[in-house]
Amino acid sequence: MDGSSSGIQEPFDLIRLSLSERVFVKLRGDREMTGILHAYDGHMNLILSDVEETIMIVNEGEQATVNVAKRKMDMLFVRGDGVILVSPPSRT
Amino acid sequence: MSFFGFEERTLERGKDRRSEQDEDLAVYTWGEENYDGLGDALQEDHDDLNDETFGAVGELGKDFDFSNPALPDRNNFTRSASAAVEDRPPQSSTPLTLESIWDDKSPFSLRLNGSNRNLLPRGESPATSSQHRQQSGIRTLQEIEAEMRKQHEEEELLLRQEEEREFQRQRLLYQQEQAQQLHLQRYQQQQQLIQQREQHQHRRTPPPRMLPISQSPRFMEHQQRQILLLQHQQEQQQLLRLQQLQEQLRVEELERQLRSQHISSATPDRQPSGPTLADMEALQHQQLRQRSQSPATRSGPHRPAPLEDSLPYLPQSIQLQQRLLSEMAQAEFLREMQGLSQADQEALRVEAMRKILEAEKMEEKRRRKAAKIAHMSRYNDLMTQSDKDFITRIQVSQLVSQDPYADDFYAQVYGAIVRSRMGLSADDERVLKFGASGGVALGAPTKGGNRRPNAMQRMQQQVERIVSNARKREEEKGLHSLHSLQGALGKTSGRSYKAAPRQLLQVDSNSAPSSSPTLSHAQPHAHISKADSISKSSSEAAANAARIGRETLDNGETLVRMEPLTQREILVTLENMYDLVLNVEQLRRDQPHPEDGEEVLEQWSQDFDKLVDQMWTQLKVMLPLATSTPHPFISLLSAAKGKKILPRVTRHFDQQRMNTLLTLLIACFSQLDIISHAALLDTLEDTPERADVERQTQAFLSSVLQSILPIIVKGNLRLVCGLVGLLMHGQDIVAIAKSRPGLALLTLFLTRVEVIKEGEVDEIPTQEDFAQWQLMFDHLFQLLTPEFPLLFPSTRMAEHLPRDQPHINIPGIDSLDQPVWQFLAALALQASSTQHQILVSSLREKVLDNVLSAKKGWVVDEEERSTKLANVDLFLHALGLDSSQITM
Repeated sequence: MDGSSSGIQEPFDLIRLSLSERVFVKLRGDREMTGILHAYDGHMNLILSDVEETIMIVNEGEQATVNVAKRKMDMLFVRGDGVILVSPPSRT
Repeated sequence: MSFFGFEERTLERGKDRRSEQDEDLAVYTWGEENYDGLGDALQEDHDDLNDETFGAVGELGKDFDFSNPALPDRNNFTRSASAAVEDRPPQSSTPLTLESIWDDKSPFSLRLNGSNRNLLPRGESPATSSQHRQQSGIRTLQEIEAEMRKQHEEEELLLRQEEEREFQRQRLLYQQEQAQQLHLQRYQQQQQLIQQREQHQHRRTPPPRMLPISQSPRFMEHQQRQILLLQHQQEQQQLLRLQQLQEQLRVEELERQLRSQHISSATPDRQPSGPTLADMEALQHQQLRQRSQSPATRSGPHRPAPLEDSLPYLPQSIQLQQRLLSEMAQAEFLREMQGLSQADQEALRVEAMRKILEAEKMEEKRRRKAAKIAHMSRYNDLMTQSDKDFITRIQVSQLVSQDPYADDFYAQVYGAIVRSRMGLSADDERVLKFGASGGVALGAPTKGGNRRPNAMQRMQQQVERIVSNARKREEEKGLHSLHSLQGALGKTSGRSYKAAPRQLLQVDSNSAPSSSPTLSHAQPHAHISKADSISKSSSEAAANAARIGRETLDNGETLVRMEPLTQREILVTLENMYDLVLNVEQLRRDQPHPEDGEEVLEQWSQDFDKLVDQMWTQLKVMLPLATSTPHPFISLLSAAKGKKILPRVTRHFDQQRMNTLLTLLIACFSQLDIISHAALLDTLEDTPERADVERQTQAFLSSVLQSILPIIVKGNLRLVCGLVGLLMHGQDIVAIAKSRPGLALLTLFLTRVEVIKEGEVDEIPTQEDFAQWQLMFDHLFQLLTPEFPLLFPSTRMAEHLPRDQPHINIPGIDSLDQPVWQFLAALALQASSTQHQILVSSLREKVLDNVLSAKKGWVVDEEERSTKLANVDLFLHALGLDSSQITM
């Protein structure tokens, strides 16, 4: 990696870099959300604002389809228990 | 009290009491050993045959021998019976010794039954003495019996009086059973206390808070007070009722009298002396009418009776009565002398009615309020002041900390912001300092301002007390250690804390987070302060780049061309910046006072400057322009974080650095993300990208422009010239002008020049500067002319509309257009007449469009119309025209 990124010493630093930035969070229960990260802690509890949550509903059956339910929230506290990953939003 | 059935009896007893008031009071035997109060409860009747039952009859007759067929000798029977009867009285009076007087077997005796048994042996030999003793014995017997009977009656009377009093008390309080119970409770408690005091004579009562609540002296006082209050209230209520009924009674009487007088006397019409007088009369009339209508009148005659009964027992009511009577008499007297016409009376009656109703309502309100207050304050005064202080001390001890700023950082900062917005009131008393051991943070000002001074003082006292206690304890410990170990031979105990077991593993919790990885993870990570390790490495790289950059600026040859900063690098740099900014701000807060000494101040200045230098290098401003596209500084500003941190950083920079920064910013303005993505804002659909660009634009306008505003506002003409030139040189000025920040910037420049031209500046620019500026201006005008209509967001957005709908009303479009109109007005102010013409011709359609829609009512509401007209007027006024001149 390049020299100026030697500021990262532990995985949480990566999350720290994304503070005040839009992040993409994958959660348990087939959920994803994007929002602006304001705070986090050792449990991976997150505080997000301007959040849009996407819930995948899988219809079992012969032809399994996936429905998507979205909802928006202004401010959200996410319990770290359910967080699978945190990443910058996918840049095209 | 009819349900108790005591009514008549109490009356009788009252009479008895009144008739026997001259008698001596009975002797109370309370406090004597043998008095257990149970003697009153004993039923002492039917004791007549006690002696006979228990064998003190004298000769046992054979009367009971029913097996004897022969009839008992009648003489014998009568004789024995009479003897039995006669024997008893003489036995009761026996020898006239002192002691024998007290030996009595009468039913009225209160002495212990032991005395009766003594008579058994004496009863054996009455026969001889009984005869001649009978004569004198009977008289004494009679005397004694009379005495006994009197005594018994007295005691009964006493009992009855007590009962009476009890009943009276009950009657007074019968509406409130609770009060009665409390009264009894209190009595019991008093008894308990008396007993306690008797038992534990030398033991002090435990502190109030240790006693159960019923025994606490506070509570008892409280209850007593409550009882008194309730009694007062009841008395007042009764008095009120009394009053009303009294009034009604008097009214009736007076009415009758009045009527008779009216008939008899010829009364001239005269003005009433005062409204009260007539009101009273009206009131009486009204009451009378009410009474005649209401069913209450039926019970009217019954009501005075119980009232008059209870009257004597309420001394206050007697006074009230007298007062009422005097009032009524006065009213009557006055009314005799005057007369009122029927109409006046009616009007006054109505007024009086109104006043009565109002008074009643007020009374109701007052009563409700008083009840509410009483209900709320029923648990008042349970704690003493020392109790409250005790608890306050505990609470405050939790707040005292070594570093109040750090422990509650966000609250402090928030409080500072609020205070600065409110108006800079008392910004240094936010932390109650107590010497060196720490302080109590106060946070934001609260709304409860009335109690604040008291609370503050008390808290200060508490904290002082805590601090002094802690200090005393420290000293004590120190003293003790010396004291205990001084002069001791042999090994002294090494551990100072006696109770805790010796630790096998000694872990120092104050060690740096990095050394104990588990501990560091447990701490919140909002901003990890590892500035030391990080900033060194990256600042070295930056320092290198800066050095090279400076060299390039000097000789303009060597240039280290880099790739634009990656997102990662941007973010890392920004996080470092945040650390630095926090340190600087903390340092700023710890700025030592001038009186602390030269060296401290010197040291502080050095630290401060070092930090500021680090910030400067981190910003990468000094890197040459062509280092990368976009310039690293511009890349840093592409993140919202970067935009937001700029004002905080630039606050600490001096003028020269700011100028450099501004120059760089302007030079690379078109590289900003908001400029390059500005086209997205013109689309109509609400995509996340558009929202993102909007957010970034807002952040730029509020943060970055805010920080460079002061520089431009104070800048001279030469600077502005140079900046405008930079904008146009090698950059797409049109694209810049089509963006909101760019437009804002241009407007800013133009207005600044206008101000300079008006001569309100310190430094008057030279002719050359003016000429230079004119050149710039013309150039700018030239570049923008073909694009004038497209400067408007409304025009741009309209191009995105579907072809078949030429006019969709976009909400808020006029407020979006407003900055454009402002810019054009600023432009027009400095434009020459030819330029004016060009302006008018290119904007003609736009202006007409607005005016037409405003005048013809193609608007949603009044506000929109006024906005449209205002926009147009902005521009037209600069040209010397007005929208009203346009005729349609």
